[in-house]
Amino acid sequence: MTRSVRKPAILLAVTAYFGVLLLIAAGLWVSWQRAGIAPDQPIAFPHTIHVSQLNLPCNFCHIFVDRSRHAGAPSLSTCMSCHRAIATDREEIKKLTRHYEEKRPVEWNRVYYLPDHVYFSHKRHVKAGVDCSECHGKVGAMKKIRRVGTLTMGWCVSCHRARGAPLDCTTCHK
Amino acid sequence: MKRRDFLRVLGILSGSTLLSSCGSRKTKDFVSSVLPPEEGVIPGEAYYSPSTCTECPAGCGLSVKRREGWPIKLEGAPEHPINDGGLCIRGQSSLTRLYHPKRVNAPLRRNGDGKFNAVSWEKALSLVSESLAGSRDAGRKNLFLSGRTTGSLSLLIDAFCGKLGVERLPEFEVYSHSAVAEANGLLFGERDVPHYRIENADFLLTVGADILATHVSPVSYTRKLSRARSGGDFRWFHAEPHLSLTGANADRRFVVLPGREAVLLAYLLRQVLEKGPRRHGLPREVVNALPRYSVENASDQTGIPAEKLADLADRMTKARFPLVIAGGVSTSHRRGLEVAALAGMIQWVTGEIPGLVDFARNEQYGGTGTYHDMEALSARLSKGEAGVLFLSRTNPVFSLPGGFAFRENVRKAKLSVAFGDLLDETVQEADLILPLSHSLESWGDVEPRRGVVSLVRPVLGSLHDTLSEGDILLRLMGAVSGEGPATGYREYLFAEWTKRFGEKGKDALIRDGFVEESLPEKRVTLNGGKAAAFLKGAAAEGGEPKAPVLVLAPSLRTFDGRSRGLPLLSEVPDPLTTISYGRWLSVSPGTAKALGVKDTEEATVSSGDWSQVLPMKIQPGLAEGVFVAGRDFVDSPPLRTEERTGEATWYLEGIRIEKSGKVAAIPVLSGSPSQQGRGLIPDPSHKDEKHHHGTESLYPEHEHKEYRWAMAIDLALCNGCSACVAACYIENNVPVVGKKDHLKGREMSWLRIEPFYGEAGNVDFLPMLCQQCHSAPCETVCPVYAAYHNPEGLNVQVYNRCVGTRYCSNNCPYKVRRFNWFWHLWKKPLDRMLNPDLEVRAAGVMEKCTFCVQRIRAAKDKAKDDSRKVRDGEVTTACAQSCPTGAITFGNLLDTKSKVYRLAHLARAYRVFEGLGTNPSVYYLGGAKGGPEREGHG
Repeated sequence: MTRSVRKPAILLAVTAYFGVLLLIAAGLWVSWQRAGIAPDQPIAFPHTIHVSQLNLPCNFCHIFVDRSRHAGAPSLSTCMSCHRAIATDREEIKKLTRHYEEKRPVEWNRVYYLPDHVYFSHKRHVKAGVDCSECHGKVGAMKKIRRVGTLTMGWCVSCHRARGAPLDCTTCHK
Repeated sequence: MKRRDFLRVLGILSGSTLLSSCGSRKTKDFVSSVLPPEEGVIPGEAYYSPSTCTECPAGCGLSVKRREGWPIKLEGAPEHPINDGGLCIRGQSSLTRLYHPKRVNAPLRRNGDGKFNAVSWEKALSLVSESLAGSRDAGRKNLFLSGRTTGSLSLLIDAFCGKLGVERLPEFEVYSHSAVAEANGLLFGERDVPHYRIENADFLLTVGADILATHVSPVSYTRKLSRARSGGDFRWFHAEPHLSLTGANADRRFVVLPGREAVLLAYLLRQVLEKGPRRHGLPREVVNALPRYSVENASDQTGIPAEKLADLADRMTKARFPLVIAGGVSTSHRRGLEVAALAGMIQWVTGEIPGLVDFARNEQYGGTGTYHDMEALSARLSKGEAGVLFLSRTNPVFSLPGGFAFRENVRKAKLSVAFGDLLDETVQEADLILPLSHSLESWGDVEPRRGVVSLVRPVLGSLHDTLSEGDILLRLMGAVSGEGPATGYREYLFAEWTKRFGEKGKDALIRDGFVEESLPEKRVTLNGGKAAAFLKGAAAEGGEPKAPVLVLAPSLRTFDGRSRGLPLLSEVPDPLTTISYGRWLSVSPGTAKALGVKDTEEATVSSGDWSQVLPMKIQPGLAEGVFVAGRDFVDSPPLRTEERTGEATWYLEGIRIEKSGKVAAIPVLSGSPSQQGRGLIPDPSHKDEKHHHGTESLYPEHEHKEYRWAMAIDLALCNGCSACVAACYIENNVPVVGKKDHLKGREMSWLRIEPFYGEAGNVDFLPMLCQQCHSAPCETVCPVYAAYHNPEGLNVQVYNRCVGTRYCSNNCPYKVRRFNWFWHLWKKPLDRMLNPDLEVRAAGVMEKCTFCVQRIRAAKDKAKDDSRKVRDGEVTTACAQSCPTGAITFGNLLDTKSKVYRLAHLARAYRVFEGLGTNPSVYYLGGAKGGPEREGHG
């Protein structure tokens, strides 16, 4: 093999190598955005009925939203306070009743999640007058919950800037 | 390396790095529980429940910090009659006992080949009840031995033993304080350790009693001392043969020759008799029997210089309310009873007995047995008298001296049943192990001081298949009668509490965590006849240990050895030597020179047939010819029992030391025992002007609008107890890295205690943590702005920005930044105690003290709810919260009314390395303990 043959081959290999790296990086970047994800849930809970038709306020079920960093998922006893009598023949409600009777908590698949190094408080945002829909979208129109915001740092910071909220790192980073 | 190999390696490395970040990040933490959380509990917010620490017999009140049900930190309960908000290093660490990965998690039975098999509780209990009956029929005795037990459990054990025909043996405690109890029995007819009201004294003489670290109720004494010292006109002198944390903190410390404390006290008794303060006289026969010492004579005998002895006597006779506490190593030798009795007589003469020495609220050591009782038990066991032998919360196999041969004797019982949580030496010898629940998993109560009942209550269900001791006993009673348990222990306790305190009192106990009964004052009188008879038969001198002497001292970190199993207590170094892992023998610099041993060089210590290899640590402040080791550092030492008191003599005399020439690998974390003239603790306290150059900053000044967080640490109050260090570890998820990393200098502690020795052997402790500099050298060198200054004056480290160049650490003059060389794992279930308010830092990331930024955030969050600023005292750091002396104050320096502002502007406030121009936010209050009079040893 002569030198002249090897040179373009090497060039091609290096280009391909970095090209693949770039592609993977780009793929990861896209996956980190995670907007639009909508995982299946153990019980297909329709926000459409509860929010749009019944007009229940968000904190009817997410009772800690203005008291804690976590909005919290309602306890099954809250669900059962209505569903002991309502729509008991539906498949999903039967599932719920089984969970309740067997004293098995329901583990939801997270739609919105933040890495360990981020501190986020629902309470502070709600008390500052941020409407739920600004981050979570029109939940009442979603049969299955779909992530609306990207939850990237830029997304958080742009809103903090616009509203004059604190921009110090320790506000959010722990 | 060839170019091709290089490219190949590069490809594999970069590809795998990228792929490794592609994992799924889904977590199952968004859960609909079946029932809503209990009243007042909000997920995501911490809340506190009262309980009691059971790590040592002191019974300090706890305020258990919980998140989503799980206990994540223990704090001292504010207003608790014992510890009043403080909690020691062992108490802080006892949370790791709950989550210890090696806890016994089911009943275990020894099978034929000596291994343990898990069995069910039913099987285990029916085995015990059959054996109980079998032994009785075979004419054997069933025996119950436990550690010190107070409160309702003691009543239940009595009921259990009465019903099942089991003999309850006197309780076994390594530190039984029997010499002190015996002396009080002799003099005043009260065979117990009284409650010392240090806060009412204006002069304190402690003799051998390590009141700050291990003696009876250390946190309680520490709080009281702080209160007494804040009164101003208070002097504290301490005499001891070795060097303890208590000695290091006294206003003046005397090194007394081992075993000669009685001479010192006899001299002082004569002095107070002659010069006062005299509130009671002594009968003539007692005075006549009292040995007479001139100051020179006493000085010769005790090794304390005559002028210092005279000064001590002068101080004591001029005091209005002098208090003498003798104990520890000074009452556990052949003249121990004399020491305790003479201390009692001084107290009698100087008076103020109920105000200073309170027998109404004694410390409940009356029921604790002596080493004589253990000798009797050993003899009975070796004769094969025992049928079922219950061993509860006690480790005599490890603790008893070699001569007892307790290990062999336990094996001679027909069935030995151990109640325990970790596999200690005694539990391992048992035929049947019944695992105990942790105190945070069970109901109970303790009465560490008469009239003070402290609640033990579960904050979580049992992690393993364990039961509380009360439940085990009730079930056993049920199994024997064949009727099943009448009630659970909880119901039993509730009934007991209602009986004793009434319905309202019971509710108060459950709500507040303690009940303090009002007790009538108890007046005691000296039994002159007995005292005289005793003095005639006794002698202040003679029988002292033959030099060279090895003093076996109680340990701050392990007490009598019972806390050895908790990893955090090995990770936090001993404050006097800064050794973290391992065992060692302390030796004075002079003796080391004479022996020709270097620091950490190994030597064989022998006494008679007994010998052990230990590394030597050169310890300034020790007397020549006196060696010191922790009680739990020596295995089965040949200790004798003192005839009259039944106290073990914690001295090995006439020891031989042979150096091996090998240097042991033990981690000594401090760089130097001396300040090397750098003025870290200026003495006398003044601003160190000579190092001050004009400082011109190249950077713009930081602006602070609302808060500038700062800390003040009063070095006159800090006693080096290291509770803050343990608290910091637990609060901030600081990893326990182990001995190997410590030897490489990779310890992770954010806060350390640095002992600095003066030329006279005196010690000053300097808690060193991130100084949160205003002009921080770490910030300017960070290439990625991970270290930056925030608007509230904190040096923030943004972990997810850090790329691990370690420039900041190299540029920090205080050496407080720690680098994560590895991913640190919390072995299950230890990960349950991780504080969810902080992330666990990843490998390759620098970390350091944050002034507990998560606590600041929580306080600000609360303040914002009420649209106000954080109030002074509303936020404090974990170290400040745990400090038993209240040496650490945290607050906002911009608030001119805050406590920290006041302290930072005191004349004695200074900052370390002020001349460097770093402008730190940590203000140290200099001025040595005890003011200008403080000295090293006498």
